[in-house]
Amino acid sequence: MGKERTKKIMTRLGEREVSSDGIVYFPRGLIGLEDKREFALLSVREGESPFFLLQCVTDPGLGLLVADPYSFLDKYDVKLENLDRKTLKIKNIKQLAILVTVTIPQNRPEETTLNLQGPIVINTEARIGVQVPQTDSGYPTHFSPIRG
Amino acid sequence: MLILTRRPGESLYLGDTIKLKILSVQGKQIKIGLEVPEDMTVYREEVYLKIKEQNKQALETSQQDLLAAAALWEKKEPRK
Repeated sequence: MGKERTKKIMTRLGEREVSSDGIVYFPRGLIGLEDKREFALLSVREGESPFFLLQCVTDPGLGLLVADPYSFLDKYDVKLENLDRKTLKIKNIKQLAILVTVTIPQNRPEETTLNLQGPIVINTEARIGVQVPQTDSGYPTHFSPIRG
Repeated sequence: MLILTRRPGESLYLGDTIKLKILSVQGKQIKIGLEVPEDMTVYREEVYLKIKEQNKQALETSQQDLLAAAALWEKKEPRK
């Protein structure tokens, strides 16, 4: 119907075009960034990459590197509290996408690690996101993925 | 900082919606029961701080390292 509107935003990777339905709202912000609510999920490069940039729509300098954990791990269970389920407005588990933040030591990209303790859960249909600390999971904050 | 002394079984209220109860004290561990409004998040401080730090690090990645990492892991998935 030609309803899909796009807008240009400035990102850490330069100017990008995002469609209006590509913006995810974080009602509680992210941990330590509680006042940032709107983020766009951008691919870092064309083609198949497990890495994405979670770019704040209102702050060009603020973009977190995140990854799809299931590209690296067969099993990764994220526990959601009732409050998180409610905030995310989950109707169906298939609506959910899970991302983890990524740390790259300066100039040592081969030492990239994933933080499995603070996953970001997104309801892809409602476009709502929440970061959910995994308190008792025993998952590490610096998981080293193995290069395939 | 307000300092209060409580015994196991005793509680205190923060405002009229948050109840904090000391359940038991065993050696150096104190078990606390919390009754908080449904829409309030409760985090263990060390977990909260760790994730905050990780978020900061995810923000500080240089563009160059970011693209390099993306290149390193690029083809993992399609290869199966």
